[in-house]
Amino acid sequence: MKLAGLKSIDNAHEESVWAVTWVPATDARPALLLTGSLDETVKLWRPDELVLEGKNTGHCLGVVSVAAHPSGVIAASASLDSFIRVFDVDTNATIATLEAPPSEVWQMQFNPKGTTLAVAGGGSASIKLWDTATWELIDTLSIPRPEGSKPSDKSGSKKFVLSVAWSPDGRRLACGSMDGTISVFDVTRAKFLHHLEGHFMPVRSLVYSPIDPRVLFSASDDSHVNMYDAEGKSLLAAMSGHASWVLSVDVSPDGAAIATGSSDRTVRLWDLSMRAAVQTMSNHTDQVWGVAFRPPGGTGIRAGRLASVSDDKSISLYDYAGR
Amino acid sequence: MCDMLDEGGKESLVVAVCREASDKSPRAFWAFRRLGYLQVRQNKWSEAVQSLQHAIRGYPNCADLWEALGLAYQRLGMFTAAIKSYGRAIELEDSRVFALVESGNILLMLGSFRKGVEQFRLALDISPQSVSAHYGLASGLLGLSKECINLGAFRWGASLLEEASKLAKGSTCLAGNLSCIWKLHGDIQLTYAKCFPWMEEGQSLEIDEEAFKTSILSWKRTCCLAAISASRSYQRALHLAPCQANIYTDIAITSDLICTLKESYERDLNAWQLPEKMSLGGLLLEGDNSEFWVALGCLSGHNALKQHAFIRGLQLDVSLAVAWAYLGKLYRKEGEKQLARQAFDCSRSIDPSLALPWAGMSADTHAREPTQDEPFESCLRAVQILPLAEFQIGLAKLSMLSGHLSSSQVFGAIQQAVQRAPYYPESHNLNGLVCEARFDYGSAAAAYRLARCAISTLAGTVPKSCFRDISINLARSLSRAGNALDAVQECEDLEKEGLLDVEGLQIYAISLWQLGKNKLALSVARNLVIAVSTEERTSGAGAITFFCRLLYYISGQESAITNILKMPKELFQSSKVSFIVSAIHALDRSDQLESVVSSSRQFLASYEDITGMHLLIALTKLIKHGSGQCLNFQSGVDHLRKALHMYPNSNLLRNLLGYLLLSCKEWEDTHIATRCCIIDPSDCSSEEGLKLSCEILAAGAVACYATDNGNQKFSFPTCRDQCLNGPMAIPQLQKWLLREPWNHNARYLLILNFLQKAREERFPRHLCIVLERLLRVALSNQFYSKKDMSYQYQKFQLLLCASEISLQSGDTISSINYAKDASVLLLPNGYLFFAHLLLCRAYAVEHNFVNLQEEYLSCLELKTDYHIGWICLKLMESQYKLETESNILKLSSEEYLKEIRSSRNMWMAVFDLVQGLISLWNRNFLHAEESLAQACSLVGAESCLFLCHGAICMELARQQCSSQFLSLAIKSLTKVQETSLFPLPVVSALLAQAEGSLGFKAKWERNLRLEWFSWPPEMRPAELFFQMHLLARQSKVGSDSSSSSRVESWQSRQRWVLRAIHLNPSCLRYWNVLQKLMD
Repeated sequence: MKLAGLKSIDNAHEESVWAVTWVPATDARPALLLTGSLDETVKLWRPDELVLEGKNTGHCLGVVSVAAHPSGVIAASASLDSFIRVFDVDTNATIATLEAPPSEVWQMQFNPKGTTLAVAGGGSASIKLWDTATWELIDTLSIPRPEGSKPSDKSGSKKFVLSVAWSPDGRRLACGSMDGTISVFDVTRAKFLHHLEGHFMPVRSLVYSPIDPRVLFSASDDSHVNMYDAEGKSLLAAMSGHASWVLSVDVSPDGAAIATGSSDRTVRLWDLSMRAAVQTMSNHTDQVWGVAFRPPGGTGIRAGRLASVSDDKSISLYDYAGR
Repeated sequence: MCDMLDEGGKESLVVAVCREASDKSPRAFWAFRRLGYLQVRQNKWSEAVQSLQHAIRGYPNCADLWEALGLAYQRLGMFTAAIKSYGRAIELEDSRVFALVESGNILLMLGSFRKGVEQFRLALDISPQSVSAHYGLASGLLGLSKECINLGAFRWGASLLEEASKLAKGSTCLAGNLSCIWKLHGDIQLTYAKCFPWMEEGQSLEIDEEAFKTSILSWKRTCCLAAISASRSYQRALHLAPCQANIYTDIAITSDLICTLKESYERDLNAWQLPEKMSLGGLLLEGDNSEFWVALGCLSGHNALKQHAFIRGLQLDVSLAVAWAYLGKLYRKEGEKQLARQAFDCSRSIDPSLALPWAGMSADTHAREPTQDEPFESCLRAVQILPLAEFQIGLAKLSMLSGHLSSSQVFGAIQQAVQRAPYYPESHNLNGLVCEARFDYGSAAAAYRLARCAISTLAGTVPKSCFRDISINLARSLSRAGNALDAVQECEDLEKEGLLDVEGLQIYAISLWQLGKNKLALSVARNLVIAVSTEERTSGAGAITFFCRLLYYISGQESAITNILKMPKELFQSSKVSFIVSAIHALDRSDQLESVVSSSRQFLASYEDITGMHLLIALTKLIKHGSGQCLNFQSGVDHLRKALHMYPNSNLLRNLLGYLLLSCKEWEDTHIATRCCIIDPSDCSSEEGLKLSCEILAAGAVACYATDNGNQKFSFPTCRDQCLNGPMAIPQLQKWLLREPWNHNARYLLILNFLQKAREERFPRHLCIVLERLLRVALSNQFYSKKDMSYQYQKFQLLLCASEISLQSGDTISSINYAKDASVLLLPNGYLFFAHLLLCRAYAVEHNFVNLQEEYLSCLELKTDYHIGWICLKLMESQYKLETESNILKLSSEEYLKEIRSSRNMWMAVFDLVQGLISLWNRNFLHAEESLAQACSLVGAESCLFLCHGAICMELARQQCSSQFLSLAIKSLTKVQETSLFPLPVVSALLAQAEGSLGFKAKWERNLRLEWFSWPPEMRPAELFFQMHLLARQSKVGSDSSSSSRVESWQSRQRWVLRAIHLNPSCLRYWNVLQKLMD
């Protein structure tokens, strides 16, 4: 497996780029790249030349997270002041504005069926679930407090939830917190199942393997990428190699590789059969906040694509060749 | 005809007929089909492929043909092609059990168990009685579970195996007499016995020894039962197929496992052991199988026989990596290191994916050079290849030496080791150590307790020192987890047995201190110092620093100093101690420790130590050179400047310097503060009490009145000391908040900076909304309920912000409420003053003059030493005609003015400015001019004051028609032009007017042009356009050659007037002029 640089856009935004995701292809157009930045804008890019397709403004603080609906028609962006704007990708019409107290919106993800939007609830130590038909809050999955701690205890802030991920079958939700634990929920019963341990610093990004709903990957500030058996509660592998915080992780559509972005300014590609980094891209000049593989689908598109965004204001696109 | 022949059993005739037909016509597909089937039956695979391919062209939708083609490919070894053919057959007809099963088999063979399992499940759905599907599914699950187990997912593997075992058992009912099913069942059970994990029941801290024992026993029993069942199954298989040599070896391995699980070690050396015997059975049948020899070597109890077996195996196959590895292990056990290393090297070079040689090499290198990273790396490799408890425990031990204890790899490994070796105390102990290294003290304590339970179940075989180590570990993690009571209990138990060493004493003392038993703690600490000073001097620094700190906390500064003076000087020879002594020295006004400090400082060597000490010295100077409650910031700043000259890349010193510069009361250096810090996003480590560069930047940006210097849309700051990094602050703070979203400090500073930005932009609605939301969350933080002064201060600031924002958005009621909340916080009067000031403003907006008067009086009562407060109050007073007895305001503000030295003139001038403005409001222009003239004389280069003075002079000149004021105005305004950093608007216009009135036409023109350029394009007022029209008229009159390049000639006079009217259509003057022009 290999990554090859295709295109890089310097100063794609006026400020640090913090969030990236792919909007799946629709019948009318191919998959697009969606990026969010500290400059309070969200931009849409058409691969492979990364032509600017649209620019959405309206946030009052930096955009921390973007998410795309599996249908590719709508997407959501969230800023530091915790407004989530849900918009139509092609027309940029606002569909809904979801509001939460500041500090209570971080990573977001639509479930595979597209019926629910899960939002990592930051200081509220929970995941918020929004219905995508009515745009109403349907559930709050809270991380239970450890036994014996008082409600006023400061340890509540340690469960600050930063990241969230749906399992490919849509039955499980995992969220990563500041103290390094990952909590797994059963969505249908709205029930907390267990914690996964192995990190001791904030878990910034989570992703389930597309081929196996038990396997979960996590990226943490302790500079490790962990691979868990999320059902069996066990740590399968810890992959080291980054020199600093790992800020983002995504898994390739074939499930054979993961890519990570880190504070050490590199993007790495990891071969899961070897559980080791096989390639390091160091084209960014500042920390890399996001990496995203293009989901499969769209007419006549077979090639794998990986995008990365960084504090250096640039966006890079790579060709990913699996085996 | 063919059918007839077929019925007659004349197969060869059928073939001949078909051949003929197919030769004659390539379109005789029926013939190809027939031929293909026959060739398949006759095992003529490659011919069959050709015929079948041809036939498929005629019958592309015939599932039978595809299936047959798949089979042919499979037999030829073309597996991917076979899978595709089978897949096509299944696509055409989804009830093709044969195709499903066979493609499943191929997938299993290729190692993609997951897909194989799917195929078998489909097959079983269609035909639930199919033995081959059962068998395939069970073996697929076995393969999948082995994959999981190799990853370390024991629980997952075990659950898969349970399902597989059920399936295999079920298929034995379907077809009882197949040896291979029994063998499969045996394999499944054996793997289960090897992977079944021990699970901790409940995460309670109090672990009952009995419960632990029973849980271990039940775990062992499960494993044992599985092993026995495996052995039974193998025996059945052997019974059915006695000539299968490998089953002998399987039985041997199983019985060996049963032996280990039952711990029946009493071996009669003369008698043949069961495992040995069984493996010999295999060898008797197949003497030239090298792997059987290796198995014999592994299972045999005699070293000589082992060696013989391995060597025999190697003779048969010299590249047998496993044999080399085990041989290495054997040699290592016998102490022949050289030979062992060679054997491991050999094995590793043959097959680098074998775990054992890596582990062996790691143990070997560790013995040679224990501090290197290499043994850790090789052991890690071994663990990654094969998650065996022995390797994992070894890895944890090595990580302790190489400092990798907190790494996630080690954590994962030791967690898995506990699952597979729960009876072994060391695995729990190491688990505890790893948890402790990751700051999870609760789990660490639980693990240590388990380790002790494991020791007591093993009874007698563990040395006492091991017990002591674990107990001390337990006490330490308990005390770190904040459970001092239990920690003391542990230490007391140890003391009774006389097992308390230096570390134990330290934990004992600190736990006692936490419990408030100070006397006992001190006596324990004394024992500790004695123990240290008699034993070893070099490593005792930790104990000494501990003692000094404890002494300071318990009996105070004086006693600590006298004790330090009493102690022998040799004890202070280390950098650690030096820091403690220096810190105590810093607080001591009588300098008793001078000599100790200076002698101990010689032992500082590293860069971090030296810069750290400079920091401490700067703080010391701050305290020692200060007077009373005031710190002497200047001396600290001076020291840091010198230190920074020596160590320019020390961020520690830079940040402190920035902090001190910001902390100076006179705020002259705030703009420098932000410049001396380097903003480094990767530097996120914040030590307690020290300030981050981000915080300095943000605080500096708030402290400077005008941050957005680059953006002239909103203000025209006249301050010469520009905060260069100011505009960077808000993005930087957002970056910080993204890195640490839980950090309340980052949020607090972001709010303050946002307020500053909102103020500069005249409180636009959208910024107010953002601020309101941020404030609501920040204020709801329980963090601010703490009584600590710094938290209260932050809360106060936040409340004032909230109040200000409410006031600006017109919500006076909540503004008043917020300010009232702020005014009751427990803070010095100087701060509370501002809450009341805000209340004054809010009441003024409400026209509630009774309350306004009240708040005004309470402001006067509280007083503040922040001049800006007095100035605001003064403005309030004059604007709302508030009554006071005598002239308290003036007196008290002047009183505070006396305290400042360096910036005194500045503040005096500001007071004069305020006086002048007040006179101006009262339309007393002469008086205003006087005040401002005084202000100007106090401060030489403040363009803002001169501008005011100039403007007032102009007004006076207009009123009194006196050229004296005109010349004064010209003087002041010229000064402004000279001193301001960039051209201020209005100045040149006024100057032009003044010069024009005195008849200097050229100067009038020049200044008007200057005025044009001193406005940002989008802000130019209507009058300016009108003036440009005048200028254009003038130049038209003159009409010299150079005029074309001037501003006024850019467009016609008419256009200028039109633009002026466009901007301000209500001014009649413009219309008049336009009319004239039109005419």
